[in-house]
Amino acid sequence: MEPVLEIKGVSKSFPGVKALQDVSFSVGKGEVVGLIGENGAGKSTLLKVLNGIYQPDVGGVFVDGAPVRITSPRDAFDKGIAMVFQEQLILPNLTVAENIFLGREEEFLRYGLISKSRMNAAAAVELRKVHLNVHPGKRCADLTFADRQMVEIAKALSLDSRIKGDVTILLDEPTSVLEKKEIDLLFGIINDLKQRASIVFISHRLEEVLAISDRVYVMRDGKVIFETPAKSATIKALHQHMVGRQLHHEYYREARQTAATAVPVLEAQGLAKRGGFSNVSFTLHEGEIIGIAGVIGSGREDLAKCLAGHKPVDAGILKIGGKLASFRAAHDATARGIGFVPSERKIEGLVASFSVAENMTLAALPKFVSGGIIRFADEKKTADDWVAQLKIKTPSTATMVGSLSGGNQQKVVLAKWRVAGVRVVILDHPTRGIDVGAKEDVYELIRDMTAEGLAVVLLGDTLDEVIGMSSRILVMRDGEIAATFDAAPGKKPTQVELVEHMV
Amino acid sequence: MLRRLGCLRPAASFLLVGTETALSRALVKTIPLQSRWRDLAPVAVLVALCILITAFSPNFLSISNFIGLLNSSAIPMVLCMGATFIILMGSIDLSVEGIVAVSAVLVSLLVENDTTSYSIGLLAVPVAILVGGAMGFLNGFLHVKLKTPSFMTTLGVGFAGIGIATTVLGGFTARISDQSVRFLSLGRVLGLPVAAWIACGAVLLSLLVQERTRLGRWLYAIGADEITAGYAGIPIEKTRILIFTVAGLFYGLAGVMSVAQFGQGHALIAQGRLFTTVTAVVVGGTALSGGVGSVLNSVIGVFIVTILANGMILMGVPPYVQQGVQGLLIIVAVTLALDRTRLDVVK
Amino acid sequence: MKMTVSREDIRAYAPLIVLMALVLAVGLYDSTFFSSKNLLTITADTMTLFLTASGVTFVIMIGGIDLSIQSVASMASCILAVGLPRFGLAAIPLAVLGGAAAGFLGGIVSTRLRIPSFIATLAVSGIVASAAYWFSSERSINISEEDSAKYLGWAVGEVIGVPNEVWVGMFFLALLSALLGLTPFGRLVRAIGSQERAVMASGIDVDRTKIAAYALSGTMAGVAGILMAARLGSGSPTLASEFLLPAIACIVVGGTAITGGVGSVWRTFVGALIVQVVRIGMTFVGVSAFAQQIVFGFILVAAVAITMDRSKIAIVK
Repeated sequence: MEPVLEIKGVSKSFPGVKALQDVSFSVGKGEVVGLIGENGAGKSTLLKVLNGIYQPDVGGVFVDGAPVRITSPRDAFDKGIAMVFQEQLILPNLTVAENIFLGREEEFLRYGLISKSRMNAAAAVELRKVHLNVHPGKRCADLTFADRQMVEIAKALSLDSRIKGDVTILLDEPTSVLEKKEIDLLFGIINDLKQRASIVFISHRLEEVLAISDRVYVMRDGKVIFETPAKSATIKALHQHMVGRQLHHEYYREARQTAATAVPVLEAQGLAKRGGFSNVSFTLHEGEIIGIAGVIGSGREDLAKCLAGHKPVDAGILKIGGKLASFRAAHDATARGIGFVPSERKIEGLVASFSVAENMTLAALPKFVSGGIIRFADEKKTADDWVAQLKIKTPSTATMVGSLSGGNQQKVVLAKWRVAGVRVVILDHPTRGIDVGAKEDVYELIRDMTAEGLAVVLLGDTLDEVIGMSSRILVMRDGEIAATFDAAPGKKPTQVELVEHMV
Repeated sequence: MLRRLGCLRPAASFLLVGTETALSRALVKTIPLQSRWRDLAPVAVLVALCILITAFSPNFLSISNFIGLLNSSAIPMVLCMGATFIILMGSIDLSVEGIVAVSAVLVSLLVENDTTSYSIGLLAVPVAILVGGAMGFLNGFLHVKLKTPSFMTTLGVGFAGIGIATTVLGGFTARISDQSVRFLSLGRVLGLPVAAWIACGAVLLSLLVQERTRLGRWLYAIGADEITAGYAGIPIEKTRILIFTVAGLFYGLAGVMSVAQFGQGHALIAQGRLFTTVTAVVVGGTALSGGVGSVLNSVIGVFIVTILANGMILMGVPPYVQQGVQGLLIIVAVTLALDRTRLDVVK
Repeated sequence: MKMTVSREDIRAYAPLIVLMALVLAVGLYDSTFFSSKNLLTITADTMTLFLTASGVTFVIMIGGIDLSIQSVASMASCILAVGLPRFGLAAIPLAVLGGAAAGFLGGIVSTRLRIPSFIATLAVSGIVASAAYWFSSERSINISEEDSAKYLGWAVGEVIGVPNEVWVGMFFLALLSALLGLTPFGRLVRAIGSQERAVMASGIDVDRTKIAAYALSGTMAGVAGILMAARLGSGSPTLASEFLLPAIACIVVGGTAITGGVGSVWRTFVGALIVQVVRIGMTFVGVSAFAQQIVFGFILVAAVAITMDRSKIAIVK
């Protein structure tokens, strides 16, 4: 029997990132297919290709066996594919009915005007499918977050009654914002739907995926590497497939790993942020690297931003060098000696149109100013020194930093914080989008920093990285610290041990 | 010498920080705003305003004053309908005065007047509206096709509009003598000024468009989240251009109403209208960021601004102070209405 | 060998080339245009426009806009005209201070209150206009001959055959260029306009720099107002009301992009000269003063569209 929806040999790249590599994937009629993998494995990208948000660079998409080009989500809808996004796309100022039928109001037109009664009646039908008991005329801003998610789901499910033929619903982490009661409800709906529709389901909670799916795909690094019927899969095996990379001790310069000194540099007690994380406590010492592992939604990105002062915490105590600290903005944190290397290098890390030297001194400008004028000669010398020390490949320190390779750009960012003389550096995915050789250089630089007594908080790109680099590892899940591991060289935890607590 | 000045720096910066903090604390309230507040607060302000003014000057509650208020709020009301649509979409229209000027000047030259020999009577009304629409279309077209921010394109078109109006009249004024056109402002129907009826009609039409047409609903979608709107298949470029055109139609109507009111047409006939229009929309509760608000909010806003102006006159406040008060009003209204959770970069 | 002209190159040299071409064109029409006396007079006439626009250049470079400059300049002229008889020389710094305060207010409103700059400065414009009317009691105030001779000689008059306005303009051109190119403030202005999030993430208090940029804009508008009042011999609340459009036009035509991060004060200077020469050219050709405004309106839109860096704005509102 022909699959309802299929992609063959699809590749999709973005600048610096191969998001999908030669991926083949199919969904049968009335089938529930689960899709799992680490962050950055390509799951969301795959769904976005199916939904018409991205076009594949190579490869084809097939609906009911026939090749198609899906040009937009609206086009996907007309072809029988609807998606529920991880980020809620409900427009709060429109009513429930208007959100469900957004862009498809023609069917309710009477003399050119929208008939609210007809639209509301149609919406009521869809709402019943998801057992959501709200009036279709209610403004979405007045609903709870979970109810809005159900409206989003109803919107996708409305496909079912409007398109003849086979229908596929794509769900990207639909349960991460729902409570247990609502999750059960959702699963009930999915089971009902199986009669009429096919479903693709992404979740980082493996038990859920196994409970609801017929078949499961595992993705890693943009490739599909494993496919199995759900019945015969075990969580342990899935974990293995999700990570499965070899750990290179040399690669992460484990020999240079320094033990934490007894000097506490940063203390967190009971830190919490509404909607992000709660009850986070740990102490960071000089020379120590604390790695934080977790999937998207685990709260680790929020935690990093809060430690760097980019977002405020709602509760808890933070001490820097023994003294209480409260950050309202990034410059408060920098003043206390905390540097932040962001994951979005080009947007938050560097001013692309500025030169290497100008970027390096950006966080410590006052040091290079006398009489109100910038001391350009000093600046150049400092920059030259760091370029030499960090082996940055650039024609000169006056070169525009935007023209450097990703790895060298990252070195400039690191140099910036060294110039500013910070004591703590928070690294958010520091090797993202950098080629292998440059990654090793960055690891070397991180070791240099800890050797000089700096302390590092690392949100690694991969589990490998977190394990290889850190002296201690915190695993976060759903906003809380789920486990702590010591990671001295030679006594490193395995990836599977970490993944067990992440998902 | 530089070093000596340098020691002033801490004092100066202390002063600066103190002033900054005091000012911003005074103006920023940390009340989280919900949609109810946004809708009810302007009404509360309006009621409070009326009470306050009556206390100072009981004349306020007289029939003649009331009629006067209806008259003076008619043109702003029409202008605000168009402006509200644009602001709901997340854009801004700074060309109001220019488009009204072009429309007004054209009307004044086409009906019976002292400069030309045309006399097309009430036919001038649809002509004025269409001309306004054409300029609105230009606004939208330049904005969308040149991918240039609306404040820039409308600024340019607005200035060009004033220029066109000035050039056509050579800097002079055209006085009209067509009574049917003047009836649009001076006449009474059922005891109320015709202008008020026109404004009322404009409001009802706008409400219909906003609530019951696809265009109206798409406005909100684009203003709230353009990406989601795009995903849903809403034709964003077409909608943008159309809305600017519709706004232009309203401004054109306001142009003919202005000629009716003043009995003449000249390039600066709408001077100051931009300010009052923006103030009214913002004070009424429609958010500058788009997606939130309604023409009904703007109706309240227009009344607040008109009554405030009226009140200031009754209380003997010099007219030039009004601009300053409106400026303050804009600042306070936008600050209170601001969604504090959206701490994006604001330019 | 293929020569590719990048967008950067166009932006870098086009304004200068346009200026030279225009001067040539007008000169061909009327060769008296080229006399040094004429060129100096034109440059002198351009200075008030340039000064008005010079401060706004900083605001546009951080990605904002200042729509209050014409009101601020007018207000400064009123403060000067009213203040000279009463306070003598002190009226000059007073007027400048007024401009600075207005700019500072605009800065606070648009940064701390997070109101988009065009609304914030529009609102401040209204407040400042009211202030101007109040200072001048709603009329234009004459500056007496003797006051002008005593205190404003530095602005009108000549030194070694060059009108003083040109010296004043050159002075500020040099000062502001130094500010932009040599000081940390200038660097931060460029940085914030290019990539504000990166500057914030580097621990800089961005708001402080932005407020300073607006304050500078107001200050220069104040200086321009003083110069205008000196040349005209009077101050009034509507003195500069025709200056908003040309001021923004000079900045954009000179090659400073409204998307921010790119630009310089000399570009504004070249832009001001272009605006002036275009004006003269149009007058020669017989385009009425009124119609010129139409032309400028469209030049503004065209210049913005050409110089904008669209990669910076995902969604254009």
